Amino acid sequence: MIELLSDPWLFITIAVGLFMAWAIGANDAANSMSTAVGAGAITPKQAVIIAGVLEFTGAYLFGKSVTETVRKGIIDASQISDPNVIVYGSIAALLAASLWLLFASKFGLPVSTTHSIIGGIVGYGIAYAGTSIVNWGKMAQVVASWILSPIFGAIVAFVVIKLVSKTILQQKDPIESAKKWAPVWIGLAFVVIGSMFYIKVMHGKSIFIAVSRYGLAAGIGAFLVSFALLRRNFKATDPYWGAEAIFRKVQVLTSAYVALSHGANDVANAVGPVAAVYAVATMGLAGMKVPVPRWILAMGGLGIAIGVATYGYKVMETVGKKITELTNTRGFSIDFSAATVVLIASWLGLPISTTHTVVGAVIGVGLARGVKAINKDIVKDIVISWFVTVPVAAIIAGVVFKILMIVG
Amino acid sequence: MQVWTKLFAKSPFKPLIKHAEVVLETVETLERALEAWDKGEYEAMREYARKVDDLEDFADKIKEEIRDSLSSKLFMPVNRGDILRYLQMQDKIADAAENTAKWLLVRDPNDTPEDLKEEVRSLIMKMSQESIKAAKLVYEAIVQMDRVIESGFGEEEIKREYEIIKGIESVEHKIDELDTKFMEIIFKNSSRLEWGLGMYLLNIAKTLSNISDRAKDAAERIRLMMNK
Repeated sequence: MIELLSDPWLFITIAVGLFMAWAIGANDAANSMSTAVGAGAITPKQAVIIAGVLEFTGAYLFGKSVTETVRKGIIDASQISDPNVIVYGSIAALLAASLWLLFASKFGLPVSTTHSIIGGIVGYGIAYAGTSIVNWGKMAQVVASWILSPIFGAIVAFVVIKLVSKTILQQKDPIESAKKWAPVWIGLAFVVIGSMFYIKVMHGKSIFIAVSRYGLAAGIGAFLVSFALLRRNFKATDPYWGAEAIFRKVQVLTSAYVALSHGANDVANAVGPVAAVYAVATMGLAGMKVPVPRWILAMGGLGIAIGVATYGYKVMETVGKKITELTNTRGFSIDFSAATVVLIASWLGLPISTTHTVVGAVIGVGLARGVKAINKDIVKDIVISWFVTVPVAAIIAGVVFKILMIVG
Repeated sequence: MQVWTKLFAKSPFKPLIKHAEVVLETVETLERALEAWDKGEYEAMREYARKVDDLEDFADKIKEEIRDSLSSKLFMPVNRGDILRYLQMQDKIADAAENTAKWLLVRDPNDTPEDLKEEVRSLIMKMSQESIKAAKLVYEAIVQMDRVIESGFGEEEIKREYEIIKGIESVEHKIDELDTKFMEIIFKNSSRLEWGLGMYLLNIAKTLSNISDRAKDAAERIRLMMNK
């Protein structure tokens, strides 16, 4: 490993990869934890610690050990014969994606890290070989996900918040109904979380195994535990506070899960290109798929955790202080809906962005008259930022790539 | 990422409740002024009447703040126009109270004929008590509206809200009857009342009954908020 660092290009890639991992942590940290922090389930400090530890654990223990050199086959790697292109291209893509993420974080826009890195890769691909290198079919899927994710997120969240309030908040005796129905909702949430754990964290393929072995077990377990706990020690006088208190506890778990799966999945956005350059440096070839050494995963995980701790902290603090309009049942509905949409989408093979789905879910809860006020202007800004993510990252990557090809 | 803080805008309902609180206080202060009037303590009456004026100003300020913050950029579970019109009606309750206070300041009613004094005063006091009831119910109605939204428009909470609205309507009806009765008394005795005194008494009754009229209008707006 030491001698590898003496390879200047690999060293640079690792540095840029770390920067990207940091930017992912900075941008996405609040994504996974914000509903819990906003609803007062955890403090910003706790959120940073939970997110930091779980993001790292997810990345290091459950990050994919094999990654495609170019994420998601968005460009045709077989057209790249010169290994240097992979090296310069990876650096350009990482740099472009992290700069865009940094910019987005600065302006508070929840953009997709996956889309950012895809943009970077497309950018250097086009700069190298023209538009024919781009797999436009895949690209169309990415574009479709801009539109599909928030729409699905909104629809599911609309239904979920309606059902949660019908079964609990709108009953004559919300406390009694909460005792009865909350375990059902918690159980259902854990069916989704358990299944997602198999697919997202352990990278399993079969949705059937996911649901039957992991989902149901987690769901039934969660149902029984919450049912027993609610019967034994639950005292509340105000119906809304009572129902909310139950969901507050659940939210800690759902956001912990989001952080874990985020680490397991999104670390690939930072380490994928690094692993590609590593493969070139050690084996001298540019294959389609390359193994990712553990230390690179650890590095990615560390980068994300540092991003959470350094930039994420500030963010969580503002979130905790400012969002007062989000109650625990609403936060739960958003988390639950987003996770469900992502699960169903991976079953159907649809390209879905978690970030976009969460924003859609917030709107869905708003449409169900569950949120008192949503800022329409910000929604507009967010949607615009989604549409420009790929082009902007592509342009920056293209320019950086051209420069590197000249000086390199 | 600050998006979560910006995505959720500040809800207008807490400030609306605050405004309703001030409106209620305005009406309550007016009642105190009328009680002082009833007892003939005109100095205390004037003091309370002036306080009514101050409170009305304060309500106005809150109203302006709410209006400024309720831009069309907000996406809310209830119609923005309904909220704004509701706010206007709620504010007019305070305005009506201020109008009564103004009439109180114009002159002292020591020259009401002795045989009428008792009837006139008891009617006015009844109207004033009912007005307080109306203002209190409006306050309850907006607090309950917050709960309706909190529950995701739960049927139980909506039902409770309708009961409050019905309460406001019945108070308004009662005050209307009292007002009519009051007018009859004044006109029956118009030949022996000095015109200025008649006008003074009639206007006190009229402005008092306006309080519940505005309360009824506000209740009407809340009804509209629930059926979007």
